[in-house]
Amino acid sequence: MAELKTEEFVVNMGPHHPSTHGVCRFVLTMDGEVIVKVEPVIGYLHRALEKICENRTYAQCIPVLDRFEYCTSMSCNQVFALATEKLAGIEVPERAEYIRVIMLELNRIASHLIWLGTTSLDLGALTPFLYAFREREDIMDLFEMTCGQRLTYNYIRVGGVAKDIPKEFIPKAKQFLSTFDSKVDDYEKVLTENPIFMTRNQNIGVMSPELAIAYGVSGPNLRASGVKFDLRRDDPYSIYDRFKFNIPTGQNGDCYDRYRVRMQEMRESAKIVRQAIEQLPEGEISAKFNPIVFKAPAGELYSRIENSRGEMGVYLQSRDKEKKPLRVKLRGSSYNHLQAMPHLLKGHKIADVVAVMASLDIIMPDVDR
Amino acid sequence: MEITGIFEYLYELLIGTGLPQVWVDIIAYAFAAVVVFGFLCIVALFLVWLERKASAHFQQRLGPMRTGWHGWRQTVHDAIKLLRKEDITPYAVDRNVFYWAPIICFVAAFMAYLVIPFGDGLIVSDLNIGILFILGITTFTIISLLMAGWGSNNKYALLGGMRSAAQVVSYEVPMVVSILAVIVFVGSLSMVDIVQSQAKIYQWYVFRMPFGPIAFITYIIAATAETNRTPFDIPEAEQELVAGFNVEYSGMKFAMFFLAEFVNMFTVSAIGATLFLGGWQGPWLPSWMWFMGKTLFLVCILMWFRWTYPRLRVDHLMEFSWKFLIPVAFVNLILAGFMKYSGWFNW
Amino acid sequence: MRLIFDGIKNLIIGLLTTAKHLGRHNICIQYPEEKYTMPERSRGIVVLLSDKETGKLNCTACMLCMRSCPTSAIQIESHKDEETKKRVLDEFVVNFNLCCFCGLCEEACNFAAIKMATMYEFSTWNKEDLVWNKDKLQETGRDVPYEKPVRKKPVAKKTAAKTDEKPADKPKAVAADPNPDEKEVEKPAEPEKKTEVEPKTEPDKADDKAGGEEQK
Repeated sequence: MAELKTEEFVVNMGPHHPSTHGVCRFVLTMDGEVIVKVEPVIGYLHRALEKICENRTYAQCIPVLDRFEYCTSMSCNQVFALATEKLAGIEVPERAEYIRVIMLELNRIASHLIWLGTTSLDLGALTPFLYAFREREDIMDLFEMTCGQRLTYNYIRVGGVAKDIPKEFIPKAKQFLSTFDSKVDDYEKVLTENPIFMTRNQNIGVMSPELAIAYGVSGPNLRASGVKFDLRRDDPYSIYDRFKFNIPTGQNGDCYDRYRVRMQEMRESAKIVRQAIEQLPEGEISAKFNPIVFKAPAGELYSRIENSRGEMGVYLQSRDKEKKPLRVKLRGSSYNHLQAMPHLLKGHKIADVVAVMASLDIIMPDVDR
Repeated sequence: MEITGIFEYLYELLIGTGLPQVWVDIIAYAFAAVVVFGFLCIVALFLVWLERKASAHFQQRLGPMRTGWHGWRQTVHDAIKLLRKEDITPYAVDRNVFYWAPIICFVAAFMAYLVIPFGDGLIVSDLNIGILFILGITTFTIISLLMAGWGSNNKYALLGGMRSAAQVVSYEVPMVVSILAVIVFVGSLSMVDIVQSQAKIYQWYVFRMPFGPIAFITYIIAATAETNRTPFDIPEAEQELVAGFNVEYSGMKFAMFFLAEFVNMFTVSAIGATLFLGGWQGPWLPSWMWFMGKTLFLVCILMWFRWTYPRLRVDHLMEFSWKFLIPVAFVNLILAGFMKYSGWFNW
Repeated sequence: MRLIFDGIKNLIIGLLTTAKHLGRHNICIQYPEEKYTMPERSRGIVVLLSDKETGKLNCTACMLCMRSCPTSAIQIESHKDEETKKRVLDEFVVNFNLCCFCGLCEEACNFAAIKMATMYEFSTWNKEDLVWNKDKLQETGRDVPYEKPVRKKPVAKKTAAKTDEKPADKPKAVAADPNPDEKEVEKPAEPEKKTEVEPKTEPDKADDKAGGEEQK
């Protein structure tokens, strides 16, 4: 009997697609149902943020960089503020540090809730999406009462924070935290042990630790592959060394482990917020910093923080006595994760492209800047 | 509230006009078809509204609220919108196949209602091969899926159509086998006989341990897959790459596929209620109310599944059917046969 | 077999969790019949504030807001009046197509002249209608409540009159201010900015101080 002639065909998973997290195009070469090659095409969301920052003063860069990764806008503010403070030698008061930690961890919870909602939406379970966004509404209410915005905060400034937390913040935050753990239990009940969810996620997109380190993968994706590395513990910035929290890790590095690591991280962030609220001291909320006439000394440095998606970094270069930075290079973690994706998808089926992209928590503003 | 009384009265009127018997029969059946068609259109509209409200309340939101009290007119507005849409026929399609696919789907969905007992004496025609007729008709849907996939002249639609056809075919088998388990007990294929053999609540087939619940659950899972609902809704999934067999359809043709899905959902729930939950049997309330209540209960369970579970991947779906459901259904059938002919549990 | 039972059990737990939500109160508010009360710090539209008694704009055309805006959404035109030697505001235009609602203009202003009100419903049908001029901004800002900032007298400059009002006003004093309009939260931030500004000898800043005090 003659050999059956088969052909590979090329399928375009276009930029406009309801499940890609942002606008990303995949050119898939497939052999029947099995994927042979994946080529991501990016650049649809490029807004030239790095170039814009070269023409803005340091204080004006903060609202611009809000849009760098808008799901975790506080982290974007924080990394830039950290870089400028290190460069100019500005010391941040205690209360401001504690408020920053509270905001950063609440933002991490909000970002993981977005991830949870979109992952379950991509896999077809349409209800946890609404539940996750219901929780996120509470967090956004907290942010709105503090800084005035729900998504792009412009709150963590060079030298401290913009405004002090209002007196309704702490009772509302405590109320949110008291019910949050049981809500996370709810999500786990619907998804974690669900056999359909488990079959869709286990042994899909397995990333070995060597591959993860080679591609520069960071954050929960790295920890799910078994590498216990968290910048909050291993390269502590701000006052993270004062809080007790665990670092969840996984074993296999498949989508299911990444899911479990992020669910556990939400609980750990809630723990950190509780500790920070208890230890919150009185004091000033900002060091002396004039946003209009600030001139940075010469220098260049790289500062990084543990974002909810991975390591977010800013490489800041400045000439002497200039109001505007010379070069702001942004390091987004999703760029590296997207590079690792073709490697993870070899031999899987089309439906897994969606599952793997969702579990790696790739968002396109982080990739394209 | 004797609906059978109304129909008998109308039949008497017809005979009284003095037409030959053939004509009387034709007019009577045509009238019955129109009544059933009208009823089903209303039911489909109601089910679409119910789905939207149920999904909203599962997600702690409100659903349609503006068009009428709690949005009951929403589906009417949607239907009018679909009627007014431009009916696009792409350039290089196979015209006949493309045109007839939604019609066949729609017709197949409605023809099953010839033998469904809506109540005591409320059945269009009590064929003595009732359930076999229904199973044959629901197989027509597969042809329309393949026609839609082929006729769209689009590789994604073809892939989607073939996948959905494969899905429907592989879930036909457990559905038929689980129904067979009940038929073994009844001894007759007629729908009215099936209902009448469940006169008391403990005689309902869902309660006849141990084969009843297993047959019921197998039937529900197979029914969910037959009607392309989550967790088996690969053909309709927007998040998957291949958009499914109805990607090239717009306007009224799309509306036909869409309504046919909801009518199918009602059909499988009606069959489930008749076979397992006792049909129109029940005390105090009129029989058609019991039928509608039980059917809507099963419809709500199907909706509940949709809004809770993620989607199965195609190969998992096929694996689940062939490697798990079919063996279970066959073992159940053997068990049912054994129970019937040994005389145990035969009350 | 164990797997099957676990699977079925977890499927049913999932169903029950979803069903639990059927009885819960819904969390949606039906806009536009029901509206959400925005918190007071909410950053909505930019408005120009006027003095409560005289009705004149508080703005002194110091251009600090224009310089802090990251998107150049604010355009100010002013001229120097020959007799009084003060700057007079001619035109103040905010282009809401460009504004990113960051709030830096509100923070830069020392005179409580510009604020972000909580209004958020100002969509229009064409882009030109989103460029608001001074009158429209002032009109929208008429009912917006605000507090006049504490104006600390500069230590370096020796002005003759009105120094006895606040001689003991230290930058970090929080309590016991005679002015009832003050909000305690704002005060620690404001004086710090002023201590930064005062020692510098930039000419326009000194002019601002003089102009502002006489207005008050």
